[in-house]
Order: sequence, then C-alpha cells, then structure tokens
Amino acid sequence: MDEMVLQRLDALLARVQKPARYVGGELNARVKAWRDGVTTFAFCFPDTYEVAMSHLGMKIIYDLVNRQEDLLCERAMMPWTDMMEGLKEEGIPLYSLENKVSLSRFDAVGFTLQYEMSYTNILHMLDLGGIPVRSAGRGEEDPIVIAGGPCACNPEPLHAFIDVFLMGDGEEATLEALREIARGRREGHKRADILRMLAGVPGAYVPALYEAAYREDGTLSSFASTDMAASLPIEKRIVLDLDEAAYPGDIPVPFTEAVHDRIVLEIMRGCTRGCRFCQAGMLYRPVRERSVEKLFELAQKLVDATGYEEMSLSSLSTGDYTHLTELVQGLNARFADSGVSLSLPSLRIDGRLKEALSDTARVKKSGLTLAPEAGTQRLRDVINKGVTEEDLLRTVTEAFSQGYSQIKLYFMMGLPTETDEDLLGIAALARKVAGAYYAIPKGERARGLRITVSCAVFVPKPFTPFQWAAQDTLEEIRRKQKLLREALSIKNVTFNWHDPEVSGIEACFARGDRRMAEVLYQAYLRGCMLDGWTEHFKLGAWMEAFSAAGADPAFYATRVREKDELFPWDLLDIGVTKAFLWRENERALKAQTTPDCREFCLGCGLTRFEGACAT
Amino acid sequence: MKMLLVFKKEHDLRFIGHLDLQRAMQRAIRRSGLPASFSQGFNPHIILSFAAPLAVGITGEREIAEIPLHLPVSPNDFLERLGRALPPGLVALEAIGQPDDVPAAMARLFAAQYAFSPRKGEEGCWQKLLEGLPAFLARESIPYIRRTKSGERPDDLRPGILNLLEKKGELWAALALNQHMTAKPDQLIASLAETAGIKAPLPCIRRMALLDSRFAPLEQV
Repeated sequence: MDEMVLQRLDALLARVQKPARYVGGELNARVKAWRDGVTTFAFCFPDTYEVAMSHLGMKIIYDLVNRQEDLLCERAMMPWTDMMEGLKEEGIPLYSLENKVSLSRFDAVGFTLQYEMSYTNILHMLDLGGIPVRSAGRGEEDPIVIAGGPCACNPEPLHAFIDVFLMGDGEEATLEALREIARGRREGHKRADILRMLAGVPGAYVPALYEAAYREDGTLSSFASTDMAASLPIEKRIVLDLDEAAYPGDIPVPFTEAVHDRIVLEIMRGCTRGCRFCQAGMLYRPVRERSVEKLFELAQKLVDATGYEEMSLSSLSTGDYTHLTELVQGLNARFADSGVSLSLPSLRIDGRLKEALSDTARVKKSGLTLAPEAGTQRLRDVINKGVTEEDLLRTVTEAFSQGYSQIKLYFMMGLPTETDEDLLGIAALARKVAGAYYAIPKGERARGLRITVSCAVFVPKPFTPFQWAAQDTLEEIRRKQKLLREALSIKNVTFNWHDPEVSGIEACFARGDRRMAEVLYQAYLRGCMLDGWTEHFKLGAWMEAFSAAGADPAFYATRVREKDELFPWDLLDIGVTKAFLWRENERALKAQTTPDCREFCLGCGLTRFEGACAT
Repeated sequence: MKMLLVFKKEHDLRFIGHLDLQRAMQRAIRRSGLPASFSQGFNPHIILSFAAPLAVGITGEREIAEIPLHLPVSPNDFLERLGRALPPGLVALEAIGQPDDVPAAMARLFAAQYAFSPRKGEEGCWQKLLEGLPAFLARESIPYIRRTKSGERPDDLRPGILNLLEKKGELWAALALNQHMTAKPDQLIASLAETAGIKAPLPCIRRMALLDSRFAPLEQV
C-alpha cells in the first residue's frame, strides 16, 4: 500500500475496536520480501483474528510455505463489521498482516473451510480484497483462489467462487499447487490453462472442469468431467508419516489473546472409533500417530520459541494415543520447572495415566467435559458412541472425589430414530451425575456443583453413515428444546441449546449442491456475514436468499435420501466407501454397534491405500 | 534481587493493551531463560510489575517494569538475554539491579512526561492549538467531566498539568500520575482544543518518561 493509504489506515485503526487484530507484527510472524521469482500466497481465514490464530492448520501451512525459498505466505482474516465499514469508506483493500498487501496482488489466496457458517465471510473477504467474487468474473491479473479443510469434502456450494479445492491433508498438496501456479505464470499460460494444470495436482478439484445435471425432483442425475485434465473421482491426499510431515518449530504468538492461546501438539490424526454422526472420524482416516520422541522435540522447540505458559494435545481421540502415559509423564518432567502447564482434554483416565498425572500436579484442573452425545443406551448404540452410563458415572465419581465440581455434558438432539424418551434420558443422566456428587461425603468433595448440559442440533454431514438422514424440522427441534428445558430445570444444572435456525442453514450447505452457490451469493448480497456469531445471524435475509435463488431449504436439510441417490460429494473419494457408510447406516437403524476398527476390520475401504491402515 | 527494566513500546505496538503487554513480557522472560520468580498457586505465572499502564494508542519511550529474580544476574546479562527474547516492537533499553527493599517503581511514580506531535493533514489545526497555549496556561481552573468506571463527575485539569510547553512544533507536557491526581493526555488535547475553539485533533502521543516526585526519571533511584 502506498504512503497515503497507510496513513488513512493508521487513522482508521485508531477508531476501530480491537485494532491489534489488524496490525500483525507478532513474535515469529514471517515478513518475507516480495521479490521476483517468489510466488506469493495469502492464507485467508474466514473468521476473526482470535479464531484464526487458534487454528493449527494455518500455523502448519504458514510455516511450511514460508520455509520454501521460492514461496511466501502471509495471513489475512475476516475483519469485524466496524473495520469492514472503515475499509470501504477509506477505500482501503483487505490486506495481509505481514506486508500490508491487498489480497488482489497475491498470486494465490487460499481459504480454509472449517465450518459452513463462515462461507459468507469468504465472499466478503474476496470483495474487500479487490478480487471478483465469482470465479467466472476473474481475469488474468487476479489471484487463483484455493480452498481446503474439512468442509472442502463437499465443495459444491462454493464451486462458483473457488477456483481449485485441495482435498485431504494439505501439507504436500499446497506446495504442489503453488508451484504449479508458479510454473503456469512463469511459462506465461492463460488463467484457464493454469486451472487445467492445477487439475493435474493429485487431490485437486477444479469445479469449472465438471458439469452437474439434475432430475426434475431436484436430485443429481449426473456429474461428469468436461475436460481431459479433470479426473473423477478425486482422491483425497494422505500424509502417511506424521513424523516426516511438516510441523512448525515456532508459531506466531498473538499479542492479543486468541480463543485458544497456547502451544498445540498434534499427537495423532484420524480416529478409529467410528461414531456414526462424526464426519472428522471418517474424513481423517487412517489413524496416524506422531512418535513420542518427535513430540518431545517439537514441544521443546515450541516452548523455546514462544514462551507460552500452556500446552495442549490435539487429536480426535487423545485417549486412544498409544503412548499417552509416557508422553504426559515426559512432557511434565521436561517443563515442570519452567512453569508450562499441560492441559488435557477430558478422556478416560485409566490407572497408569492417573499416576502419571499425580506425579506432577502440573495438569490444569479446569472443569471436566464429557460427551455422551445421547441420553439413552439405545440411542448411543445407534450413533455407535461406545460410552455406557456406567463408564460415565464412574468417571464423574472419580472426578468429584479428586476435587472437580464442574462438569460439562455435551449432547445432540435430532439424531436419527430419536424419541422423547431419549431426550428425557438426558435429564435422567444429569440427575444421576448430580447424585454421584452428593454420594460423596460433604467433607471429601469440592463445593459448588455445577452441571452444564449443552445440546447441539444434529446436522447430518457428508461422508458419515447418517449422510442419508433427515434433519429434524425447525418446529420439531423447537418442541424438543422446550421439552428438554422443562425436564432440565434441575438444581445446579444449566441447559444450553443451539439456535435451530443456524443449524438448519448449516445443514443446507453441508449437503448442498451447486445450486446452493446462488443461495450463498444472494445471502452475501443481502449483507449476511459473520453468521457464526449469534449477533450477526440474519434469518430473514437467509430466507430471502433461498427464495431469490429458487431453492428450498427442506430439500437439503429435512429430506431422507434414497440409498442410491448420487450425492454432490460423491466426486470425492475420502478412502471410506459409500458401501461401508450404507452398511453402517443400516446397522445404526437396528441399534447395532460396530467395534473400534483396531479390534476388528470392517472394510471401510482404507485398506485400498497402500500402507494407510495397520490392519 | 529485582531488576528494573527500562523499555520502549514502539509505534507498531501502540494498540497492545496493558494485559496483552504483560503477557507478552512474561512470555519473553520465559523464552529468555532468566531466573524469574513464579507466583504460587495452581497456575503459576512469572511475577512482574509495571510502573504505570500505558493507554492504548500511545507509544512509550522509556517505560518501566520490575522483575524479581531468584538468582543474581548482572544487568548487562539481563539486558542482553531479555533483549533477544522480546517480540518486535518492544526494546529493552536499560536494566538496573536493585535490592528487594527498594520501594516499587509504581509507589514512587508521581508524573509522566508526554510529547504530542501532529498527524499529517492536521498541521493547520495543530497550529491553532499551539497559538492558544498562553491563554490556556493563564486559566486558573480547567473544568471537565471525568469519565470513570463508576460514572461521570466534574473535575479540574489545571492542577494536574505540571508543565506544558512547545518544543519544535511539538507539545510537551508533564502530567500528574499518582494516587492523588491524574491528568490524561487525551483530555489535555480535548481541553486545549476547547479553549482554542477548534475540533480536537488526533495527535501522535509518546510517553517520554515516568517521573518521581523530584521530577527525576524513576530509573534514577
């Protein structure tokens, strides 16, 4: 930006809330020089700075790209509304935090798709950054717009705005895509040809090279490649060896507090438990662990480079990490003297681990969080959540006798086959947890029992056994929430519930097709943004957007799909097969559980990939 | 022993609030490996105190923090190690070793010296402000409404202005900053503008020094 613009920015920053979000300059931020031969990439996080700076994936990609001589990566986030208005008034484009460069000047910009309700932010960020919102409107000078992350597994609602999606683990694919863009620019190819070149990168999906057709009933009739360069299906990328995979030894340390402001050690990727509602559990297969030695090395580097006072372990199921006790003991031994505390997610604490924890009392004793997900054993069997009431009560009794007095219980409502009895089971469980507390003599338990019951609205997601299932209608969800509210008016119990309208829109995007892109565009035109923030969600504008686009939310959210329906996301092969998912769906309806696949292989499909799966 | 640190908080960090600054300093101390003292309790943190919080938007030329150490360290060693660990925008300028019984800098603080310079585009209005200086200083009382957490109340700015003069087009002010009286730099500009009959400009503000009751910098014990 030139001097005049920087001065206007300076004045703008003095009048917006939390200006520290917009200035960069954090410890370990990498400000690389823009010089010839360096391909420039803006990693865009479609939510606020505080959320973005809590995201591990961004830190991995940021570090990895910046370590390449021929590439550089800068960060950009969604501004809050006051900053957004200010940028527009002052004629300042959305810029990267490092060199304060307009997004439009980068060779490529990449969005991470963490949740559906951030999609409107992507459109606003493109527009603010001076990039035509629709792919079709972009010219030779415009950046290539990339997207990846979990929601890319159903890319179709964004097909009109994103030039290329990268499927699966991003470490290798990002570098390959950026280098392909570099080659295309160097060799003087047209944008359309660069996109065709990108389609050749394994795991890349270039929506412009495919065509979708629909039946009269609205379902997909065919989906086909229209170009020799575009293959089908797209196989997701898998990084098999996490010890060899890129991981940052230093990370930017925000001055202003992020939502999760600590060192995060990713100990494992993937999960074998097979909960039937869980998309991540299917998407991130196979299970891969980082070695304890590698984790010690990374932890030491990160503590030295950041000075963080807290470290946490990240994975889908930390209790399943093979060497958890050794890891926790080793980390505690290493960092006890430097005042770095280790925070663990709530997990089954077996005897050996308990010993390891009490060795050094360095583990932060915040409240205990447990996720039974459903209120009765029958429904927990339907969703294959292998937790029994006995397990749960044993865990909370243990916790209460150790001095915990705050328990959070997470549930979902609207799960397939759910009855009112299942919902009332949630209240019964909360009562039993309270009973477990009072069963401990007064002198031996901590004071101030607080049980928080949070109940999310179930959103059926692609690549889960419930991808065929209907979401409950709004009326039904409201009725169920009322029922639960009444049942949960118990002493010391707080009940939190989700806004069913937001979950309804989320469901439409989760399993949306190409026609949802127009709904998104219409919502963007109507000023929808920051939809994940309750104060900004505008249901009225969303409903207008649906009718302007001629789309029916019920078609996407509350419709039961046929076994053989062609899904928009069938273009992607995540490893787990549709046949396996259907078998799991049928077992679910019969409330049959499926064991952890490390005990018994059920043929989910991963064994097709060489070396992907232990069994 | 404890170490008195004189440091600079540069322009790029002017939006970093007091708590954020404290956290950044604690993390830098941890990175430096200096033998800092930890608080007791379940989540121990590095003990550190600042002489005076700096308002968001103002840069600090010679800010002061005190850091208790559980092992002796030479000031040069301290300065070098902390200097390497500080994030961009924070600069360690000077370190002075002190016995534990020296009164805390916070307790010795009496006033702060500020420098105000005009932003580009506001030079005209700035000139008017400077022209109004003699009339402003001649006033015996400068009433204003003080906004506090507990509400609004009338107050007088004049006794808090210990010194006010023009220096090469900049405005320099020594303003009271102690438990009995506090005059804030943005209020000074607002009152000056009111006296001059103009809209208050938004100058760049630097805090140049923290002073004790002798009007000597706090670091000169």
